[in-house]
Amino acid sequence: MPTLDSRHSRSDLLQRAIVAGGALTAGGLVVAGLPKLASSAPSPAQDVRVLNLALLLEYVESAFYAEARAKGALRGELRVFAEVVGGHEQQHLAFLKKTLGSKARTKPKMQFGKATSDPDAFVEGALALEDTGVAAYNGQATNLTAGALAAAARIVSVEARHAAWIRSIVGKTPAADATDPSLTEAQVLTALRKTGFLRS
Amino acid sequence: MATHRDETIGEVPVELDLTLEELDPAGAICEAHENLYRDSRATFLRRATVGGAALLGALSVVPASGAQSANDVDILNYALTLEYLQSSFYTEAERIRALRGNAREAAEVVGAVERAHVQALRKALGSAAVSRPTFNFGGVTEDQRRFLKTAVAFEDLAVGAYKAQAPRLQSKPILAVAISIHSVEARHAAWMRRLFGIVPAAEAFDDPVSRPEATRIVASTGFITSSGKTEREAKPRFTG
Repeated sequence: MPTLDSRHSRSDLLQRAIVAGGALTAGGLVVAGLPKLASSAPSPAQDVRVLNLALLLEYVESAFYAEARAKGALRGELRVFAEVVGGHEQQHLAFLKKTLGSKARTKPKMQFGKATSDPDAFVEGALALEDTGVAAYNGQATNLTAGALAAAARIVSVEARHAAWIRSIVGKTPAADATDPSLTEAQVLTALRKTGFLRS
Repeated sequence: MATHRDETIGEVPVELDLTLEELDPAGAICEAHENLYRDSRATFLRRATVGGAALLGALSVVPASGAQSANDVDILNYALTLEYLQSSFYTEAERIRALRGNAREAAEVVGAVERAHVQALRKALGSAAVSRPTFNFGGVTEDQRRFLKTAVAFEDLAVGAYKAQAPRLQSKPILAVAISIHSVEARHAAWMRRLFGIVPAAEAFDDPVSRPEATRIVASTGFITSSGKTEREAKPRFTG
């Protein structure tokens, strides 16, 4: 078993440690969601890159809920969900923009089509955005400096609450697994593109 | 948002915030959706193993007896104590069979996950693992409403506790697992809050809960009747 010593590069060891961890318990289990660790150690510059990924997500989420609320087509608990969650995403967005300052990425061009007016399409969009959000933040945890991690951790659990809430509303298990999957930056971008909400 | 603090578990505040009933007085809880998307209970229960176990296995890559720092061992034992508390609570609720419907289903699913967390943490800690304290839940597992209120308090507490410790972990593989358990606890918290009839996500930012604060809160419940001990030392670890 690998130990954390100085003879190997840190990232190499971490990567191998994670792979070994998966192998240890892989018998009969689906090996999924193992974290992909970055090759560079946490740094303020890397924090900026990671927080800009988070900012992209929050731009899409907050615009999605804002448009759904403006269209006013949702009823009952879905409407409550869009109002409460949309408010949170706006606060996340404001926090990240303020934290990144001049290093903040620009607002992406977005289109939501019927996902902000048709309840079924809205649910599908919300499920994708919230579960992707959780996995995106989780996937970056080891890339952040301690200060940035402390801030991101205050957001990721709220995203997880949102994900559980929308899943619960539509009768999906809010939390079936012992751990949440994590996604790399590339996987997050792929998942976002798959929603069709980003206009290229 | 109006906040009511009229319910507590010991000294644990259960913030009722806005209740779902207040926000959705017509009670239009989208039954059509429930029918459309429903995962059957049988489907959960057929899953003999809890998903996500592979990642949990990463915890034990660097055993406590070896290169894990004393700092990380200490944090993992603290997490283990909180997981003991939760898993014993759900296991007892399942055994007593006082829960019905969605609450019963949630207790079964969440209980299995908390037991998986205990198992993984124990394996990671090896001989340094604190042993399971003895608990007396004082009847809260015998009544659906009290069960849910307690579950909300425990889950919200677990979210805050993991959140406070994550940036303090030195091992990156351990951090990767801990942060992933953290978001699962947040899903549980949201699930239990919704079943209790309160807003699953009350605030835009979840606050960390320091270890002394969490320890004080747990002590105030009186649920722990005797502390666990490690094999290495006789002194109870969960002393704050």
